[in-house]
Amino acid sequence: MAQLFPKQANYLALILAVAGPLGGTLAIAGVWYYGSPKYLDVGYRPHQPVPYSHALHVGELGLDCRYCHATVETSSTATVPPTQTCMNCHRLVLKDSPLLAPIRDSVALGRPMRWIRVHNLPDYVYFNHAVHVRAGVGCASCHGKIHEMPEVMQVEPLSMSWCLDCHRNPTPHLRPREAITDMDWWPPANQAEVAAAIVRDKKLAPPSDCSGCHR
Amino acid sequence: MNDLGSKRYWRSLDALAGDDRVRSFLEREFPEGASELPDGVTRRQMLGLLGASISLAGVTACRRPVEEIVPYISAPESVVPGQARRYATTLPAGLGALGLVVRSDEGRPTKIEGNELHPSSAGATSAWAQAELLELYDPDRSTSVRFGQETKGWDAFVVAWGEMAAEHAADGGAGLAVLAEPFSSPTLARLRHAFEERYPRARWATWQPVSDENVHRGIETATGTVRLPVYRFDRARVVLALDSDFLLTESEAVRHAADFAASRRVRATGDEMSRLYAVEGVLSLTGANADHRLSLKTSRIGTFVAALAGRLAAKGLDLTPGLAGAPPASVSERWLDEVAADLFSHKGQGLVVAGRRQPPAVHAATLALNAALGNVGATVSYRDPVDAALPDARDLAALVPELRSGGVTTLVVLGGNPAYDAPADLDFATAVAEVRRVVRLGAHDDETSRPDGWHIPEAHFLESWSDARAADGTPSVVQPLILPLFGGKSRVDLLGLLATGQDIASYDRVRETWQGMLPAGAFERAWFDVLHDGLVRDGALPTTAPAIRAAAWGDLASDPPAEGIEVAFVASPAMLDGRYANNAWLQELPDALTKITWDNAALMSPATAARVGVTRQELVRVSHGEREITLPAWIVPGMADETVAVALGYGRTKAGRVGNGVGVDAYRLRGRDALDLLRGAAVALVGPAPEIAGTQDHGSMEGRPLVREATLEHFREHPEFAKHVVEVPVSRSMWTDKTYTVSPQWGMSIDLTACTGCNACVVACQAENNVPVVGRDQVLRGREMHWLRIDRYFSGDAESGVEVVFQPMPCMHCENAPCEQVCPVSATVHDEEGLNVMVYNRCIGTRYCSNNCPYKVRRFNFFHYTKDTPESLKMAQNPEVTVRSRGVMEKCTYCTQRIEAGKLAAKLADRPLADGDVVPACAQACPTRAITFGDIRDPASVVAQRKAEPRDYTLLEDLLTKPRTSYLAKLRNPNPALLDAEHPA
Repeated sequence: MAQLFPKQANYLALILAVAGPLGGTLAIAGVWYYGSPKYLDVGYRPHQPVPYSHALHVGELGLDCRYCHATVETSSTATVPPTQTCMNCHRLVLKDSPLLAPIRDSVALGRPMRWIRVHNLPDYVYFNHAVHVRAGVGCASCHGKIHEMPEVMQVEPLSMSWCLDCHRNPTPHLRPREAITDMDWWPPANQAEVAAAIVRDKKLAPPSDCSGCHR
Repeated sequence: MNDLGSKRYWRSLDALAGDDRVRSFLEREFPEGASELPDGVTRRQMLGLLGASISLAGVTACRRPVEEIVPYISAPESVVPGQARRYATTLPAGLGALGLVVRSDEGRPTKIEGNELHPSSAGATSAWAQAELLELYDPDRSTSVRFGQETKGWDAFVVAWGEMAAEHAADGGAGLAVLAEPFSSPTLARLRHAFEERYPRARWATWQPVSDENVHRGIETATGTVRLPVYRFDRARVVLALDSDFLLTESEAVRHAADFAASRRVRATGDEMSRLYAVEGVLSLTGANADHRLSLKTSRIGTFVAALAGRLAAKGLDLTPGLAGAPPASVSERWLDEVAADLFSHKGQGLVVAGRRQPPAVHAATLALNAALGNVGATVSYRDPVDAALPDARDLAALVPELRSGGVTTLVVLGGNPAYDAPADLDFATAVAEVRRVVRLGAHDDETSRPDGWHIPEAHFLESWSDARAADGTPSVVQPLILPLFGGKSRVDLLGLLATGQDIASYDRVRETWQGMLPAGAFERAWFDVLHDGLVRDGALPTTAPAIRAAAWGDLASDPPAEGIEVAFVASPAMLDGRYANNAWLQELPDALTKITWDNAALMSPATAARVGVTRQELVRVSHGEREITLPAWIVPGMADETVAVALGYGRTKAGRVGNGVGVDAYRLRGRDALDLLRGAAVALVGPAPEIAGTQDHGSMEGRPLVREATLEHFREHPEFAKHVVEVPVSRSMWTDKTYTVSPQWGMSIDLTACTGCNACVVACQAENNVPVVGRDQVLRGREMHWLRIDRYFSGDAESGVEVVFQPMPCMHCENAPCEQVCPVSATVHDEEGLNVMVYNRCIGTRYCSNNCPYKVRRFNFFHYTKDTPESLKMAQNPEVTVRSRGVMEKCTYCTQRIEAGKLAAKLADRPLADGDVVPACAQACPTRAITFGDIRDPASVVAQRKAEPRDYTLLEDLLTKPRTSYLAKLRNPNPALLDAEHPA
């Protein structure tokens, strides 16, 4: 009677013993890494309908964030500005630039701009800009060095564990109110004391409960 | 009576009788077919679908879809994206008005709340007012001005009206008629006056199927002129309600419920409490809240009043003699004596009110009684009907022959739906078909829309400018929060065009009216204040205490003895007169007393049912002469014998996708001779009826002492009667108790004495929290989604007399929550502030939590109920609350979004959170302020004070769940002299 299994089959057990755990580990590691917001979302840099450069407007011209994102201190959303805000300057500056045609069309035709959202939280997350600004979390803490970006790119994962890292230990990220929009702010040597004072003065108690952000 | 152990509570007659079906329903946590799809997809197909969707999901899930940000072109002043705004406006309601404050998120109204400044609202609302939001976004509203089937614009109608107007101007409008709903509006009244000056021969008929016409006529009989009553229940110590549902379905119910509750607030043992006697044929919410309730055929109320007057006259009250008639056979002499004595000893502090179903004679007699008792001017006063178009059924009756004869060539129907709700014997639908031209203003393409006339879509009140006077005469402004979604036009628009021939914006018309009402010198400032407040502060009209004519006692005693079964037509607490038929929130709202959803039924007492031969749910044919309807019977304890109650407003044929064919149209039975009560009706058994989707046996809690009540006397002797009713085990819980260290710690207290069971909180919760509607079929399976339900318990004997208790049931937010202990994925956990939090994104749908919840307050999304929500209805959803998907458990969150909003607002203002900063939707809507919410750690907070009251108790405390929601036990204030009479030893 012929053998049912060839001789190589003897190695099968060994191969399985090695490949099984290895493959399993690799699969888990793969999903862990490639499926994480760190891999999927960081670096997201969509092309916008108008190549608006924060590097130019903020970095070179020195516009304050709040000139355009005017509601960041009062509302949950920071607000992408109405077309009219662009036209405040571009009625005079570069008023015939072909790059700005969509802006001019928007005003002329009454057609709103359609920007691509870069920093996108899931719908079940209720993030509030105003309260973070009040606490002393700078724009750059979440959005990165915007003033160096010709096109806005997501630099932080915006994942829940990333949020919780700061909620559990906000010390490295708290800064004085006047430095909120300062892109070049760097924690001073006595940051721990500064942050502790902010926490004390403003009675900060960042929630780490589900109900803090999910409703 | 005071011994809690001896009183037996039951939810339905079936449960009382120990019906097997109730048993089996209760024993399964998720009854009947909980895991089956409704439309016959097999398990194998389901697995196939699942496999396919998983593989597709894998492809698309690599990155979230690209999302766009679409900012304004030019931002409107003062609109901040992400920040809700609130505007004052007014819901016109018959001859009254309910002041509202409506929340608007990025330009779309998302929640209706009461206006605290408004006399009719005082910050609260009714279920109807809450549900108006859904009316606004109703996708079945008509969308264009049409002539016949042809779509035209409003401009085309303006031109067409010019031609019609020229024709009618020639003869003073002899062939012109307007059929309108009653109103109480300065602008509409001004325009009507202008219209009548322009067309002096035109006819004007005012019709509304459910109205206070009988009240007005009674007052006219008694005093010589039509006046409107202004009741002050807060000043009354003794109230006698005669077939009057002043707490729910009568006019001005929100204010009346608030005042009534205010007169019954007992905090300490020394506090006083008013007493309510109810005499009625149909078990109403008011009767359910009465301290003494007498079931009496609706037609015998007049005899009762005559007998009562006789008793009072015998006590020396100045009443027309000769009224000392014998009381109706079923009324005990003693009962009558005691009521008379109570009213007599509370002169000037009593109030007798009669319901709108009662004939004018009863209202006239009631007024005379109140006057003799010194109550007029104290608890009830009267004002002139300023700026009002009063309902008058005689107008309509006179109009219809003119429509048939050709006397009317142009009929303008200004709102309403007369072809559906006019008296059946008038046959309005065929009459209107004979008119040459019909101009119809209506929100829907409904029964009254004629296929060959002009149809103008009516704007919702949240889309239009107008005004209205509240019941006390306070001028209130109706201001829009949104442009008409479907190009609608308001009554002001159309009547303005008719009256002046010019098409002027309704804002200008309203402003013009108010220029005559506000101080001329400072108009702009005053107008600004009106727009801000929604009303003129202290704008109530003067009231009088009119003299009574002898004629007030008219034909009361000559009432013919009533034989046979009588049918009482009831305004539905959900559909009202049918106008809310396409409103899914109201269709699915369990009726306060019957707990029926998605249906109406012939309500009858057990004895009447036995006489007809009805045992459980059978179809009965109710007929009178040629007119008949066939509908399911529903046995209600507490109904008077030989009485059948049928709710109006059902059986619509052209209401829309929600309301078509729901229930049975009772208008087909309602003729001019029997607008309120049909006497001598025949009721015959037809056969088995399809199951009615009632919720009264859902989530029952098995006879444990959940509702606790006592009389005021007993409370004074034993203030803590509600505590220690069950033995709490001394053994500690097996779980380590969580300690709560931070402030605030949230808690809720619900006062069962104040709660009337009106359902406003249920709809408010649904609106605030995006709670889906599941439909009749799902309700039958016990899958209704209401986060807050109101349990209604009967106690007593089903045959002789029942008492009713209402108990709102939100999530208890147990500190030691049984749901959390069984969740395998920590989808329900506690937060630091004591909230039992539901995390939708963790939930995998095991439903263990609901199984383990002793209070049965968790709701499971068996299907993706919001998947097919029409586009316009999505606009009604609260952006601050997640819209849940299939397979997820949900439940009351104590309005966690409002808690967060309150905390954020306090933080941004750099101040500590104050008591009252956070008000959940249910507490906000409650007319009687039965629900209080706040920080239980702060001893100064209102909720902490409530919880410190002796009546405070929690549900099932023996389970050691430590609920954060607690109740204040119900108090009744029965007349001690009547107690042993009603409960013979």
